[in-house]
Amino acid sequence: MRRETYPTEPFHDAGHGYDLFGLEPAAVARAVAVGAPLYERYFRVASTGIEHVPRQGAAILIANHSGMLPIDGWMLWHDVVRRTGRVLRPIADHFVPALPFASTRMARVGVVGGARANVRRLLDDGAVIAIFPEGVAGVAKPFRARYRLQAWRVGHAELALRHRAPIVPVAIVGAEESWPVAARLPIRAFGAPYLPVPWSPLPLPVRYHLRYGAPIELARDYPAEAADDPAIVAQAAAKTRAALEVLLCDALRARREGRS
Amino acid sequence: MRVLVTGATTSLGDALVRALLAEPTVEHVLAVAIEPGVQDAPRLSYRRVDLTRERAVHDLVHGLAAELAIDAVVHAAMHRDARDEGPAIHARNVDATRRLLHACLDVPAIGRFVFPGSAAVYAVRPGAPTLLDEDAPLEFDPRAPQWVRDRVEADLTVCAAMGMRHLALTVLRGAEILAPGTGSQLWDYLQSRVCLRPAGFDPMINLLTLDDAVAAIVGALAAGRSGVYNIAGADTLPLSCLIRRWGRRDVPVPGPLLAPLYRLRTWTTGRKFRYDLNARRFHLGGIVDDRRARAELGYRPSHPIRWPHDAGGFSRSGLKT
Repeated sequence: MRRETYPTEPFHDAGHGYDLFGLEPAAVARAVAVGAPLYERYFRVASTGIEHVPRQGAAILIANHSGMLPIDGWMLWHDVVRRTGRVLRPIADHFVPALPFASTRMARVGVVGGARANVRRLLDDGAVIAIFPEGVAGVAKPFRARYRLQAWRVGHAELALRHRAPIVPVAIVGAEESWPVAARLPIRAFGAPYLPVPWSPLPLPVRYHLRYGAPIELARDYPAEAADDPAIVAQAAAKTRAALEVLLCDALRARREGRS
Repeated sequence: MRVLVTGATTSLGDALVRALLAEPTVEHVLAVAIEPGVQDAPRLSYRRVDLTRERAVHDLVHGLAAELAIDAVVHAAMHRDARDEGPAIHARNVDATRRLLHACLDVPAIGRFVFPGSAAVYAVRPGAPTLLDEDAPLEFDPRAPQWVRDRVEADLTVCAAMGMRHLALTVLRGAEILAPGTGSQLWDYLQSRVCLRPAGFDPMINLLTLDDAVAAIVGALAAGRSGVYNIAGADTLPLSCLIRRWGRRDVPVPGPLLAPLYRLRTWTTGRKFRYDLNARRFHLGGIVDDRRARAELGYRPSHPIRWPHDAGGFSRSGLKT
């Protein structure tokens, strides 16, 4: 179902049509329009389980990460915006706000730098955020390691415990074959950890399958104070990793069997 | 309440004195500045005092302030010209703050000390939060301009005395006040018909008005709470939007060219805007989170900026016509 205006949830206007992080509803609508051909025809995104994304209140989406550029994040953002009306707030790595042009474009559609204070504020405001716990290790993984989760950061579990927010795992299938990285050049431009060299000049038109899993309610198992206990946070993060691995296996099997 | 206000001849000090005199709970205001400019009036006394001189500070606090039974102090005297540097400026910004604070700590009658600091004390760099709460890291880079280093040192001087003796110390880290005579870098920046900004970056900027800054100080005096509070203004918008709303031409320029171009502007026109002071903010933003002030001081920004084309116009000096 296509929507005419975004977002449909309350927008925290800081006074001039932008929120505190620079999100602009008009830019969201433009990005949806611009991304539609890629979403619909190039990557032919098929998604299941969108009903697991809460229609209101704070939530944390976690997903596997890959590719030369974060096209997986873009398609996930696009899917959530179009199908729920909520503007997904992807959390970007620390170097992203220092990238010229890209940083501003991303901020206008809801991307936020991954500093703890930023994420805390978003969750306090009831936003739905997306975290790729693999981080740069995910996009840097070689093709042979596709769909194998890399180093797993635990911040999302701590945030979920502290803010009592559900975690929705999302398996993204297709992105890891679409534009894999062939090499990493040790060039640190604009603070990026390396300069990626892709296998192909453009992403291949591999079909994307997004599978949303049932929400993981860490708040049911742990008190809020558990967010300060590194052992419990690591345990909770292992639980989310296992849930995403199962979801990824299911999604890959469904693709092999030709099911959506 | 009987209030001593330093820096009374600055735009902020002047507006604050007027606001305090309009408060029925304020019995007397002792206005202090290094420059002449304030006339004595009912409930208002004015003295010229050089706060960099220890004897003068001692005599002010233990003499006239004691005679007038001053019980609250607002230290708003900070040097406002970002081009000036050196030991004399440090003495005005930091040594004067330390001396006044320590003198006030010795006077039991003075129960409140409000320091209107600046959000310029926060470190803005990749990886730092976009939204700066009171726990955000401060700028401790020794290469930072003296303008910033002095403000950090003065801020920490006041913070270090919190919890000592009887005095309730309030540090207000305000967003930039967009008004003449406040030392506002953006005010000076916006005086050019063409405003250059780094190509590829359009960060969010938060701006405070004099009225909201004064309201925050008056609120802090009334609350009498010890602590650090961010004070944000009612206007948060991208830099390009600010430039256009101010009626200026927004011209993106490659970042490395901006520092030499604005140095040239300073040399040729005497303008106070320093790009090196603003470079990180113009790339990465960094706006203050004022939720603590809202919750504990009851502060609400309620005076948005009066944009040039909303009412009246601006003369070449930038003042309302």
